[in-house]
Amino acid sequence: MNFEVIIGIEIHCELKTKTKMFSSAPVSFAAKPNTCTNEIDLGMPGTLPCVNQEAVRSSIKVCHALECEIDPLVRFDRKNYYYSDLPKGFQITQQFFPIGKNGEIMINTDDGEKIIRINRIHMEEDTAKQFHHDDGSYLDFNRAGTPLIEIVTEPDMRNGKEAAAYVEKIRNILYYLGVSDVKMEEGSLRCDVNISLRPYGSDTLGAKSEIKNLNSISNVQKAIEYEIDRQNKVLLSGGTIDQATLRYDETARKTVLMRKKEGDVDYKYFPEPNIFPIRLKEDFISSIIEQLDELPDQRKHTYIHSYGLNEYDAQQIVANKELSDFYNKVVTNTKEYKLAANWILGEVSAFLNKENIAIDQSSIIPEELAIMIDMIVKKEISGKQAKEVFEEIVLGKKAKEVVKAKGMEQVSDENAILDFVINVLDANPQSIEDYKNGKDRAVGFLVGQVMKLSKGQANPAITNKLIVEELKKR
Amino acid sequence: MRIDDYKQGNLEKVVEAGEKAKASQERLNAVVSFCDIEEQIKDYKHTQSDLLFQTPVALKDNINTKGTRTTASSRILDNYIPVYNATIVDKLKAAGAVFVAKTSMDELGMGGTNLNAYTGKVNNPWDLQRISGGSSGGSAALVAEGVVPLAIGSDTGDSVRKPAAYCGVVGLKPTYGRISRYGIIPYASSLDHVGLFTTTIKDAATALEVLAGRDDNDMTTSYKPVEKYSSLLNSDLQGKRIGVIKNVMDAIEDKTIQETFKQLLDKLESRGAIIEDVVFDTDLMNALLPTYYVISNAEATANHSNLDGIRFGVREDGDDLTSIMINSRTKGFSSEVRKRFVIGSYSLFTENQDKIFRKAQKVRRRIVDALKEKLASYDVLLASAAGSIAPYPDESYGEKLSATYLVAENHMLLGNFSGYPSITVPNAIVDGMPVAVNLLAKPFEETLMLSIAKAIEEECGLEGYCREVSE
Repeated sequence: MNFEVIIGIEIHCELKTKTKMFSSAPVSFAAKPNTCTNEIDLGMPGTLPCVNQEAVRSSIKVCHALECEIDPLVRFDRKNYYYSDLPKGFQITQQFFPIGKNGEIMINTDDGEKIIRINRIHMEEDTAKQFHHDDGSYLDFNRAGTPLIEIVTEPDMRNGKEAAAYVEKIRNILYYLGVSDVKMEEGSLRCDVNISLRPYGSDTLGAKSEIKNLNSISNVQKAIEYEIDRQNKVLLSGGTIDQATLRYDETARKTVLMRKKEGDVDYKYFPEPNIFPIRLKEDFISSIIEQLDELPDQRKHTYIHSYGLNEYDAQQIVANKELSDFYNKVVTNTKEYKLAANWILGEVSAFLNKENIAIDQSSIIPEELAIMIDMIVKKEISGKQAKEVFEEIVLGKKAKEVVKAKGMEQVSDENAILDFVINVLDANPQSIEDYKNGKDRAVGFLVGQVMKLSKGQANPAITNKLIVEELKKR
Repeated sequence: MRIDDYKQGNLEKVVEAGEKAKASQERLNAVVSFCDIEEQIKDYKHTQSDLLFQTPVALKDNINTKGTRTTASSRILDNYIPVYNATIVDKLKAAGAVFVAKTSMDELGMGGTNLNAYTGKVNNPWDLQRISGGSSGGSAALVAEGVVPLAIGSDTGDSVRKPAAYCGVVGLKPTYGRISRYGIIPYASSLDHVGLFTTTIKDAATALEVLAGRDDNDMTTSYKPVEKYSSLLNSDLQGKRIGVIKNVMDAIEDKTIQETFKQLLDKLESRGAIIEDVVFDTDLMNALLPTYYVISNAEATANHSNLDGIRFGVREDGDDLTSIMINSRTKGFSSEVRKRFVIGSYSLFTENQDKIFRKAQKVRRRIVDALKEKLASYDVLLASAAGSIAPYPDESYGEKLSATYLVAENHMLLGNFSGYPSITVPNAIVDGMPVAVNLLAKPFEETLMLSIAKAIEEECGLEGYCREVSE
C-alpha cells in the first residue's frame, strides 16, 4: 500500500420508542404504508413538534455507553432542504449542540485493540420512505419522524477490518442497550462510510468518497476494501479522486457512483424556534445511567475475571446478547461458571443450530440447566446421563423430574450401596480371587455388577470405593 | 356587538350573524370561506354558563379547521382542507362558540395592509376605500362591522393590534406561550401569537379566559394557571404607573393623533395615574423593522417549505419532482411572499448568517433587554397604536424608511420581540375614522393590562363601538 487510508463512519440508528421523535404517532416497522402517521409527520401546515422524552432517554444511554460528554441543555436546529421524502422541507436535528460529544470506544481486530474516537451523537428525525415504480414514485410516511440518533466518528479507522469491527461493536452496544433493533438489512441501522487516501506523512486529508447505506457488516468491509483499491489505482496512475457519493453494488462487488458533490449543500441551519432549550436535571440523567444494564465489555470482563472463562469463550457468549442473558441466568443458579459456559457454547448452541432458532425462542429454562450442571458436579448423574437429561430439558422439562422419571436418581447412601456390594461379592468369588491375584480389572467388572443390580442408581464413585474396601477385608 | 348580546338571545341570532357575514361580503370582502352554521347548531348542547354560549365567532383563515377549507389567503392552499383542528378551535367550540367565517388575511400573515390576500383587498368598514390593515384584516373588519362580537387573529408583527387600530376595535395579543399556536399556519414561530378582536375589554378578557392555557401540542405554552381575567377586571388607575414611549409620539406627524393622545393622558392623570415619558435608544427603535424582517423571514422561509404541492395544496405540473415543486411554489405564492422568502433565505446562507441572521438575533436580545429595563419602573407602556388613521391603499404601499414609518408604525414589534402582552384600544373618532392607543405590559400581567385598558375604554366612551351600533 502506497497511501495511508483514512476512514470515518456515520451511523444512523432508528430508536425503537413507542412514538415518533416529535409526534404521538406510533413507531412501526412493518405496518401498512401511511397508517402510522399523523398531521405532524405529514408536515401539515400549523403543526408543531413535541420532543419525545423516551428518545432523549435512549440517547443518553447511548452517550453514556460511548463515553460521551452529555450536554444537559437539549437544543434542536432546522436543516433546510427540499425533497419529497422530507415533509416539512426541513429536518429537525441537533446541528449546533449535539446531546453527546467527545466519546470513544475500543475495538478488537486481529491486530489487537484500538480506540476509535466518537466526534458526536445527535438526535434527529427520519424521513419518509420512497418507492420508485414504473408508474411513478410512492411515499410511505410511516417512517417519517421516527427517532434517529446519528453517531459520527473521528477519521480514526485505517482499513476495512477496523471499520467492520467498529460497526459490529456499535451494533452490539446499541442492541445491549435495548434502544434499537439494529437491523442493517431493514435499515434500522444505516452506515455511511467516508474514505480518503493520502501519502504517508501528509497531514491534509485527500478528497473523500462517501459510501452510503451499506446493509451488512460484511459489505462494510468489502465496500471499503474495493474502494481503497480503486482509489489507490486512480492515484497511482496519476489521476485524482473526485469528491463523490457512492453505493456498493453487492452483485458486482464494487462501488458505484451515485452523484458527484458539487460544493457543499448549504442547509442553512438555524435554531428550531418551536422547541425552547430543555434543561436536563442532573438526577434525570443519573437515574437513566444507574438503571443501565451491563454492556458487552463489562460482561466480558466479569466472565473472564470473576468467572474464570477464557477470552474466546467470553467473547463468544457476549457476541449474542440473548445467549449472554441466558448464561447470566444460568450462573445465578450455579457456581459452575466454566461448565455452564461449556454447555452453552457446546450442547445448547448445537441444539439451537440444529433447530435453527434463537435462544429466546427455545424452551430451555436456564435454572433447569443450572440444576442439571450441579447434579453432574455432585456426581448425582453421570455425564452420559446428563446428555439424556438435556434432551428433555430442551423440551422445557425440569431437570429433577427428568432424572426421577428416567430412574436416574443415584443412590449415594453408603449403607445401601454396601448391601449391593456384599451381595455382588458373595455371588462372584472368582472375581475376588482375580483381584487378589493382582487383576485390577476385576474391580470394574464388580462395579458393573453393582450397577446392574441397582439399576444404574448406585453412585459409581462410592461403589468403586466400597468394593475396594470390601475386597481388602476378604 | 358584545358577547352578552348573543348569550342572552337564542341560536337564531347566530344564524343571523352568518347571514350578516354574507351580506357584508360585497362591502368588505372580509371572508374567504363561510362556515356551515346549521351543521354546528343542530346538536348544540351548551348552556348559559359556557363563556361563549351561542356566540358567533370568526376565525382568521390561517387557523386549521378540520373539514373546512383553510387557505391562509394563499393560492397554494386554495384547495387545502385540514384533517385536524387547531387547539384553539377545540377550545372555542367547547366554550360554546359557533364559527361563522374564515377571514381574509395578508397571504401567510405577510403584510400589514391586507392588500396581499389571494381574495383581494379587505375594505375598512368606516371608509370602504381605506385599508383594514393586516394581516388579520378580515377578522378586524367583521368585528368593526358588527357581524360578530369576537374574531380570532394572529399577531407576528402587529397583525392584530394594527388592524384593530385602523378598524376601531379592541385587539389583544397576550404573552407568548399564553395561547397555544398548535394548528395556526405560522408566519414566524418565535414571533407568532394568537390574538383576538372584540368591541369591549370585558369581552376580550372573557375570550382570553377561553383561549389561554397550556397545550401539550405546543411546547412553548406556559404552565402558568389561567386567571379569571373577566371577573378580575377593574378600572382603578390610582397610583398606576404609565410610561409613554416618547420616541413614538415624537415620530408622529399627524396633529390630530397627537391631540387625541394628549387628551387621553389628561384623563388618565385625572384618574390618579402617574404618567411619565420613556425614551428608548433611537438606534434600537430604528432597528426594530430591519431586525423583524430578518428574523421573521428567516423563520418563514423554513416554516413554509412544506408548501410544495406534493402532499396537499395546489400542485402544478412539472417534468420531475424539482420542477413540480418549483412550479407549484412559483405560481402558488404572490411576489410579496416570494420576496420575503428570498430575504429570509439569504440571511440564513452560511456566509451571511453571522452578519445578518445572528446579528438580528443579538439586536433582538438588546431590544428586549432595553424594554425589560424600561418596564421595570412602570405598570404599562403606552403609545399611539399607529401614526395615522387607516390609509388608502396607494398611501400604504410604499414602505418609506422615514422615522414616522420606522418608529411610529412599527413600535408594536416590541411586543413580538419580547413576547410581552399588548393591547390596542380605540380612543377617539376623527372625521369618522377611529384612532387607537396601545398598551404593553410585563409578561403574564394580562389582568393588570386589561384593567388599565378598561379605564381607557371608560374614559373614551367607545365600549361596544361597531358599525351596527353607531348607525
